[in-house]
Amino acid sequence: MAEAVKEKISAVATVTCTIDGQQITVPRGTSVFDAAKRNGIVIPAFCNHDKLKPVGACRMCYVEIEKMPKLQVSCATMATDGMVVSTNSQQVREGRKAVIEFTLINHPLDCPTCDKGGECDLQDLTFDHGYDDSRFGFNKMRFIEEEKRATFDDLKIGPEIVLNRNRCILCYKCVRANKEAFGEYDIGAFERGDLTEINATPGGEVSNPFSGNLVEICPVGALTNSDWRYKIRVWLTKTVPSICNFSGSGTNITFYKEDHKNFLFRVTARCNDDIDDGWLSDITRYGYQIVNSESRLKTPLIKKGGKQVAASWDEALAVIKKHMGEIKDQSGGVCIGGLISPSLDNASLYSFSKLFRTIFKSNNIDFRGDYRYLPSVTDSPFTIAASQPFSISEMETSEVIITFGTDLIREHHNEYLKIRRAVNFFNATVYSVNPYAVKTADIAKSEMVYSPGTDELVINGVCLVAIEKKLVDSSAAAKLKPKISKLSLGEIAKQTGVSREQFVELAEAISSAKKISFIVGEIVARSLDRDKICAALSNMNKLFGIQDKGQLAVLARYANSKGAQKLGISATPYEIVKKELKKIWGEYPDCQPRNTDAMINLMKKEEIKGFITVGANPMRLYPDRRFASEGLEHVDFLVACDMFETETTELADVVLPLCSWAEYDGDYINLEGKVQTGKQAIKPKHESKAAFEIMELIARQFGAKLFENEQNKNGEIEKLLNLDSVLPWPDNFFEIEYEKKSSQDGYPVPLFICDDPHHSGHLTEKSPSLLNFTDSAYVELSKDLAAKIGVADGDPLRVESPVGKIVVPAKISAVLNSDVAIIPRNFSSTQTTSLLMRKKRVDSVKLTRVEE
Amino acid sequence: MILSEKTVKKIREKASKYPKRKAAILPSLTLAYKQLGYVDNEIYIEISEVINVPQLEIAEAASFYTMFPKKPRGKYLLQVCNNISCALLGADAMVDRLEEKLAIKRGETTDDGLFTLISVECLGSCCTAPMIQINDDFHENLTRKKLDKLLEGLKNGK
Ligand code: SF4
Ligand code: FES
Ligand code: FES
Repeated sequence: MAEAVKEKISAVATVTCTIDGQQITVPRGTSVFDAAKRNGIVIPAFCNHDKLKPVGACRMCYVEIEKMPKLQVSCATMATDGMVVSTNSQQVREGRKAVIEFTLINHPLDCPTCDKGGECDLQDLTFDHGYDDSRFGFNKMRFIEEEKRATFDDLKIGPEIVLNRNRCILCYKCVRANKEAFGEYDIGAFERGDLTEINATPGGEVSNPFSGNLVEICPVGALTNSDWRYKIRVWLTKTVPSICNFSGSGTNITFYKEDHKNFLFRVTARCNDDIDDGWLSDITRYGYQIVNSESRLKTPLIKKGGKQVAASWDEALAVIKKHMGEIKDQSGGVCIGGLISPSLDNASLYSFSKLFRTIFKSNNIDFRGDYRYLPSVTDSPFTIAASQPFSISEMETSEVIITFGTDLIREHHNEYLKIRRAVNFFNATVYSVNPYAVKTADIAKSEMVYSPGTDELVINGVCLVAIEKKLVDSSAAAKLKPKISKLSLGEIAKQTGVSREQFVELAEAISSAKKISFIVGEIVARSLDRDKICAALSNMNKLFGIQDKGQLAVLARYANSKGAQKLGISATPYEIVKKELKKIWGEYPDCQPRNTDAMINLMKKEEIKGFITVGANPMRLYPDRRFASEGLEHVDFLVACDMFETETTELADVVLPLCSWAEYDGDYINLEGKVQTGKQAIKPKHESKAAFEIMELIARQFGAKLFENEQNKNGEIEKLLNLDSVLPWPDNFFEIEYEKKSSQDGYPVPLFICDDPHHSGHLTEKSPSLLNFTDSAYVELSKDLAAKIGVADGDPLRVESPVGKIVVPAKISAVLNSDVAIIPRNFSSTQTTSLLMRKKRVDSVKLTRVEE
Repeated sequence: MILSEKTVKKIREKASKYPKRKAAILPSLTLAYKQLGYVDNEIYIEISEVINVPQLEIAEAASFYTMFPKKPRGKYLLQVCNNISCALLGADAMVDRLEEKLAIKRGETTDDGLFTLISVECLGSCCTAPMIQINDDFHENLTRKKLDKLLEGLKNGK
């Protein structure tokens, strides 16, 4: 259990009861079921779930309690002082038998054709506790969908979910999890009595971003997913513990694999209360399918006569040696640059850095290929904010949670769910402060939607109100006030669209909270003004003492962004990291550091001649497609390592097939700074290799070795990870400059390019299951905006910016309520980033209906 | 909108009285039913917008209560009790008679939209069995003749 929760629980009174003769002391409010479980006594159950409120629906958890005339359900009975419980008396055993017999009255008993067989709670508990016969001889009640009669009465209720109502035992776990834990309303229980059925909301389908969990928690074969069903029996697979590679939190997962086929069959949760509570997003659950994909790159490719042709590793490496060698000898290593994906493991990231810095003697590396123009400095306010510590489970016990500049359901699924848990189970109060209305707001006490591009003004507004209302320390207030009061509060309110009352509400919440979590996300991180916004946040942090009573951080987005920060993978690593690297290597290039943006710029000027991308796809993700392509097309020699053909590998002179994270052991650091290991599940497919191997192979071409042995490598990484890499905030308050932001004439609608809730980055479009949810780009807009333009859901819309134009279908949002456009960046079929300009504060577009 | 402005206004008034929005589900359904004589998915969606509760929660509640009809019904709702006392005293024969006369089956509505026939559980009028409730009125100690006369009367708008 999360430390924070433990603390909270131990602070309350306890009770002592006796269960099966054992004296057991538990916090007041613990159910008999949990009290027993904590002491190793397992009570059989169907409907009870750790992370959901008890309902007492299945009656399987019967126990006998002294002085109570009848059997009681232990999941919904709280332990009290002096209670004497027996979980295995004659009466209990008979009770369980009866419950099983009742549960099976209408159950089809079709285990041989049921996909849950072998891991079915009903099957197991019937064996353990049931009769071997039934007294109910009459015909079983059956749900039959007339047209679908042929397919075992199965009903497809969502892109990935198949429902068999006959097998359902009405434990309501699916419906409860959906509502309580995910805040989704697309599956429910209808009718009553023996007619009760689980089904999708009338006219809808079960397609929320967490829908896969419903299948996993169903205790029987009523809910199954198309991903796994009928492919293999569970006992023929082996499991391997790993972690998710698609977001920054490092969700714990289990791979199911089969060795002969060298194939992954599915992913299930490996509950870690500190991170994921055992819930997976669909991206985590179905994203693994990319590993099995037939379109994986199979061999290295070399460009010959304008065409990429298959080659051996030796040939490819020789070509790399020849061309990179030439560039290095003739123009110097400073003309070589590289971009690596922050989803790769520590060893890969570190090898990459070491290859560049010790062999090419170049400082041109970066891991942030999807951030627009980023100045090359070490301790910018943004870098500081991104280095701050953060704990996911601490959110549970935070009294106030503020989400700022983050659309969690598109960026951080675990945090999205953790916040819901904090509200539903621990009474946290949430404030959602964003440039457009987000889904998180449905559990927020209030939602503040500010006009895009005024992020720092909003923060200043909160500070000003707090000073005015004397909510904060007066000496700090006196120091800060002159630095942020060039605009009056009235003016700020006008520009941001946030009212004075809202500022007051937020300021009061922050100042009065005993414990607070302030989460900053990608909307801020991807903004051109990220430093200014983080400077404002620094002021606010100091003024309110936020970190003294909680946490404030820009959350790391990718599986190993935190690792990349700690290992110094950017052109400008933290000073302390740089010093350590110098010590380890005995050298450190003193040439100018260049990050992604600077490198692409120099490509055009032919000052970067050789370039290596590792798992990165700047052509798709760099927020200015024209800029990126002009640069990359200019590069004399481009090496691209990836799992798939991408927009970037297309341009490459040499393409190297990269392993997926499931094909080797790797360490990843999640956004909390926790190091977790993803174990190798299957052998590398085809001829693919892990990035760290590729780096070593390239180094050897240059007659050097990155590492003598495994131990060496791990030792060096260890040293870096041991450094304290939290950068201190400066002592002073920042002066925040104001610029009037006007949207470009003729392009009135602010644009946000982000991830679809069912996709992450450029790889997930290779997962067939995820494509079943969303398979192409769209432009999401509010109902009102759609009405203004005159489009209905699904109608094609022309989206034009000053630099680009795309046509995508309109998607009418249930959440948005202001004039903004949201477009996902996950599909190669639409060049979304062609709408963006790297030096633009607020991207804006013109939306017009496409006439038939 | 299928719901009339008046109904919507009433729903809003009702909803404002409850501390939790969800509590307004049943009163809203009742008001909708009073206007239309039935509720269905389109109505759930409309109510959901008015009281800001997910459509699902409204659909679930409505489906649980069999007394919310899910299809439009005839002008006269013929509810024949078929519980024990009425059954012993010939409820089935009464239903048969009605089915024959109206040329519909239980649960159906006549083409002219005048009659809907259903059978129901005990209406608490066992000592005068068999009996039928037509809209809000009881008609007791039924015989076939009496039933025929009743039907004739209704057809002629009495
Ligand atoms: S479908 Fe599965 S999880 Fe849902 S109520 Fe039925 S048995 Fe429980
Ligand atoms: S587990 Fe207790 S009633 Fe189902
Ligand atoms: S049995 Fe018909 S009214 Fe009671």
